[in-house]
Amino acid sequence: MAGETQLNPERWVAEHGDILFRYALARVRNATVAEDLVQETFVGALKAREGFRGQSSERSWLVGILKHKLIDHIRRSSREQLQDPAEPDTAFEDDGHWRMAAGVAPKDWGDDAAAAFERREFWETLQRCLDKLPDRHARAFVLREMDDLPGEEVCKVLDVTPTNLWVLLHRARTQLRRCLEMNWFAK
Amino acid sequence: MNLLLSCREATRLSSEAMDRPLTWSERMALRFHLVLCALCRRYARQLGFLREALHRHENDAVLSAPARARIEQAIREAT
Repeated sequence: MAGETQLNPERWVAEHGDILFRYALARVRNATVAEDLVQETFVGALKAREGFRGQSSERSWLVGILKHKLIDHIRRSSREQLQDPAEPDTAFEDDGHWRMAAGVAPKDWGDDAAAAFERREFWETLQRCLDKLPDRHARAFVLREMDDLPGEEVCKVLDVTPTNLWVLLHRARTQLRRCLEMNWFAK
Repeated sequence: MNLLLSCREATRLSSEAMDRPLTWSERMALRFHLVLCALCRRYARQLGFLREALHRHENDAVLSAPARARIEQAIREAT
C-alpha cells in the first residue's frame, strides 16, 4: 500500500526475496545470476533508502530497482555475446509454401486452447520451451512479451537495430510455437 | 511490396505486426493472404495465444536457503 515511508530492511529477504527472485529468474534464466541481482537490489536499495518517499509500496520500489539492475545486466551480457550463425528457414519450401511432409505446418490447437492456462503442466511445458530458446532470442522475446517493452526500448537495451529485433522475435516465436505444439497441443 | 505473399512472408509479417505498425500495403497483402490460407490464419492465431500465455506466465521459484542466508548477510554488512 502506498503511504508508508518506513522501510524495513531486516524483513526484506523474508517478505520480498522470493518475489524478486522469481521476477529476475524469469528474465535471466539462471538461478545464480538471479540471486546476485536480488542481492545487488537489496544492497543498492539500502544505499538509496533516503530517496524513498513512500509514494509507492516498499515492494514496487524494490522491483523498480531490480528492473534497472536487470536492464544493466542484460545490456552488459548482450555485448559480450557471439553472433548466432544464420539459421535456414526449414519450415518452408523454396517457393515459400509450408513444407507439408515434414509436419511443421501449424496444427489445429482446438477451439479451447486457453483451457491450457488452467493446467500446471502447461506452464511447466511453456517454461521448458522458453529455456530452449537461444539466449539472444530469449532476451529479446522476454523483454518484449513479459515486460511489454516497446520495440525501440528493447533495441536500446540489446543494442540491435529494429530489423535485427524483428528477426530475433520472429525466430523466437517460430521456435516457441513449434515447441508448444509438439509438446502440448499435438501430443 | 508484392501483394501476393508466400506463407514464409506472411508468417514473418504476422510476427512483425505484433511489434510495429504495418504499412497500408503490408496490411492489405497480409489480410489477402490470410483470407486464402488457413494454415497462416492458424499461425497468426497461435501467435496471439503465445502473447497471452507469456503475459500470464509466472513461475513459483523460491530462493534456496543458502542464497537467503548469503543475501541476509550482505544486507547486514551493508547496513
